[in-house]
Amino acid sequence: MVVYVNDKPIHLLPGMKVRNALIQAGLLGLLKENRRVYDEWGNEMGLDGALYENMKMFVR
Amino acid sequence: MQQPKREKERVHGTKAILLRALLVALITLTVASGLSAEEKLIRILHVNDFHGYAEPHKPFGSQVMVGGIAYLSSAVNRLRSERPTLLLAAGDMIQGNTWANFSKGESVIELMNAMKVDAMVIGNHEFDFGQDILKKRISESTFPVLGANVLGLEGLKPYVVKEVGDIRVGILGVVAEDTPVLTHPNNVMSLKFVSANEAAERYLPELRKASDVVMVLSHVGHHGDRLLAEQVKGIDVIIGGHSHTKVVDPPVIGETVIFQAWEHAKALGVVDISYGNGGIRKIKGYLEEVRPAEGTEDNAVQAIVLKYKGLVDAALNQTIGESEVDLDGENVRRRETNLGNLIGDIVREVSGAEAGLINGGAIRTSIVKGALRAKDIYSAVPFDNYVVAVKLKGRQIQEALEHGFSAAEKGAGAFPQVSGIELKYDLSSPPGSRIKEVRIQGKQIEPEKEYSVASIDFIAAGGDGYKAFGDAIRSSKDYSVIGGAMKGERVVYSNPGMWLRDVVIEYIKFHKRVNPRIEGRMVPVGK
Repeated sequence: MVVYVNDKPIHLLPGMKVRNALIQAGLLGLLKENRRVYDEWGNEMGLDGALYENMKMFVR
Repeated sequence: MQQPKREKERVHGTKAILLRALLVALITLTVASGLSAEEKLIRILHVNDFHGYAEPHKPFGSQVMVGGIAYLSSAVNRLRSERPTLLLAAGDMIQGNTWANFSKGESVIELMNAMKVDAMVIGNHEFDFGQDILKKRISESTFPVLGANVLGLEGLKPYVVKEVGDIRVGILGVVAEDTPVLTHPNNVMSLKFVSANEAAERYLPELRKASDVVMVLSHVGHHGDRLLAEQVKGIDVIIGGHSHTKVVDPPVIGETVIFQAWEHAKALGVVDISYGNGGIRKIKGYLEEVRPAEGTEDNAVQAIVLKYKGLVDAALNQTIGESEVDLDGENVRRRETNLGNLIGDIVREVSGAEAGLINGGAIRTSIVKGALRAKDIYSAVPFDNYVVAVKLKGRQIQEALEHGFSAAEKGAGAFPQVSGIELKYDLSSPPGSRIKEVRIQGKQIEPEKEYSVASIDFIAAGGDGYKAFGDAIRSSKDYSVIGGAMKGERVVYSNPGMWLRDVVIEYIKFHKRVNPRIEGRMVPVGK
């Protein structure tokens, strides 16, 4: 499965979650700096949120 | 039927109470102004992805206490008192947090019964304890559990029609079609999952005839909800879950309004529907964030929370087995340890892989010899990691090991603990060329040969800088479950529904005594 975190492609196993995507993107630590994860429509997501193929998410 | 009018309203943060009061006042004013004597107001309250987070907690990266199901329940009671109301749960309720896992979800069902939940859709994680447990949980529920696109599971209903203040609300339940690859294959053995669209197309005509308002209670994720609304007509409202999305500005897709209430009891979703002249007039929704304010909890629900908290505490203190030796979790970032060997062996054994490789950083503390309690294991392997296994080429294993040893002198968490692997390493060599010899299952590693290697999802996702698993995944086609077994190019095992610590506890309970030794799996050579 491929998802995109801040436009960077991330390859994950099915069943992996937002948290896994941020780990691979090296961005999980940013959440300790008051950053949050958003989907492509601007909705905040939880770290255990499910992913789907070609999903786009943003940490900001 | 009169064309329904869709409106949205969002309320969040500390303004929630004031804006809610304003909403109530506006509605009261509207009714008092004699809008239509026929107009009826109903309310839908919704939660999703609770995952057993019964107590207030601080989410990762936050210092603010949020949630607490007793506080959420108090909000439910208040909002219920204002008009005819349904309380719905959009899946993934019974598994996740220790509070739920220790009773295999029984605690959550007791909670939901006490809160008078009106209906729930099954989520993918509801399958994580296996079908027998799931059927028991369904039988304990005083509310219908829905799953129109799950075929073969006793106790599930495709839909339910609830009468709320003279309004018939039809509720169809759908879950993620890819549930078979989101849990252990044994948990979905002999079940068939069809698409949410297929189930909706099948049941919506009859549901529409029996209902004034048609809702889909969905556990397919916000993206899937949008697709469902685009592709299937005749749905008034979708209450979603699965993606843990905080929908504060509910989208309207065609004639369908889509909601979702975040996760872990951090928010309660509120949808107000006004109905009149044979159709929906308005739909308004918002989230009420849940913050634990002392003295505002629902005491009946809090009693259930505390009861199971006490049972969990007692269970954590129970002896699950015995270790004949001290288990070394102190040196897992520097050298082979017996606790690293034990965890590595467990990971490899449950997945049936040829080799196991975990990061030393996954192990946090030592355990003294003697009686082993569940809480000892929780302290030693505290993280929410699960076991995965993928096929790696010999050279990828070698690369992974080189990475693991690249910062060994700094005590980096990446330092490996292995199973089924024997290696020699030389820390006087530069990083990247420290591994001198590797054997898998007693045989010299072959660079182009594929080996099944077990690990945890953290490492497979590239945590602690491990790239080999990611490279393998990148070159792998997605896997699927065929005949109860996982089939795929490189993925040979994945069980997202059971945390590593619980896997270790089950292993120790089964074997009763453990006696792991340092066996020379990782031998230093050179200066």
